[in-house]
Amino acid sequence: MRLSRTMISLATSLVIGVPVLAAQGNEGKVKAVLQSGPDVGRRAPDFSLPWASKDSVGPIESPYQLASDRGKTVVIAFYPRDFTQSSTAEMRTLAQQYDSLAGPDVVLVAISTDSVSTHRRFAQSLNLPFRLLSDPDQRISKQYASKDPNGYNRRTVYVVGSDGRVAFRNLQFNALDPKDYAELRNAVKNSLRPS
Amino acid sequence: MKFWLILGALTGLLLAGPVHAQESGIPVGSRAPAVQVNDLNGHPVSLSSYIGKKPVFLEFWATWCELCEQLLPKVRQAVAQYGNQVEFLGVNVTVNQTPAKVQRYLDKNKPGFQTLYDDQGSSIRAYQVPSTSYVVIVDRTGKVVYTGTGGTQNFDTVLRRVTRG
Repeated sequence: MRLSRTMISLATSLVIGVPVLAAQGNEGKVKAVLQSGPDVGRRAPDFSLPWASKDSVGPIESPYQLASDRGKTVVIAFYPRDFTQSSTAEMRTLAQQYDSLAGPDVVLVAISTDSVSTHRRFAQSLNLPFRLLSDPDQRISKQYASKDPNGYNRRTVYVVGSDGRVAFRNLQFNALDPKDYAELRNAVKNSLRPS
Repeated sequence: MKFWLILGALTGLLLAGPVHAQESGIPVGSRAPAVQVNDLNGHPVSLSSYIGKKPVFLEFWATWCELCEQLLPKVRQAVAQYGNQVEFLGVNVTVNQTPAKVQRYLDKNKPGFQTLYDDQGSSIRAYQVPSTSYVVIVDRTGKVVYTGTGGTQNFDTVLRRVTRG
């Protein structure tokens, strides 16, 4: 009986472990973020990743760093893979809507596990006006709750406000749903409004 | 015994983790949502006009979708064979599309299905459409009996079954 209780207690703590840890201090908070990603209002974890655009592959010594765009709104789109149908549809649509999404105070970056050379070819093929970042070991996608167990990214979007905090996120972004793009556009617009 | 059941359930919950049912599609066996979708002229069409009344074949497609293009001969053949018993609906996903572009494609390729233009995304959400070339077949009772994607999928057996009797 005592063994059963101990086992149940152990299993329960495994299941609810993250919130328990979160209540225990910073280490717990970090683990909770890893599990669910930074929620709206939370500070977006900084990261630094190699990148490519339609014109070039970024120099190794100057990866893209989120913190360097502090003061601007940053749209981060995690997506599964270059050259797949849905990702092509998504990137093409983001490129088409780039004028209404981006601007001098908005930066858009998209992240997958592909290499920078694949990114370059993909960006070139679609004439993408934004950078594609390479996160092959999914270190960053994990922090942003966008890591899929199959080794690719899940399709998600984050809008990080000029204060470095998450202003909007959609953890189930559907590349084919016009409503999801409209919500993203609205979120960018709202993040630019003076508070 | 009870303990192991509880432990199993809790472990299952743990392993399920934060992963959502993304890009998986509507479950086979579930009731087909009778949502409203616009046609190419912007007129609303309710799927309730067909669902639960006769078998329905839905394909979510786009003019840029290579797999849909690959699937097209099979769709045409299915329309020719089952078109008088099954309602064939081609739901354009509208991403990177315009009604004019879709109409030009239809004029050239003549898929044979009734075309809907889901610019509100209502059917895309309701059917949890994971990608273009996604086919859903609904039997005459309104139950989803088949889902699939890709240019080489085979739905002939299912169509034969839903039109029997």
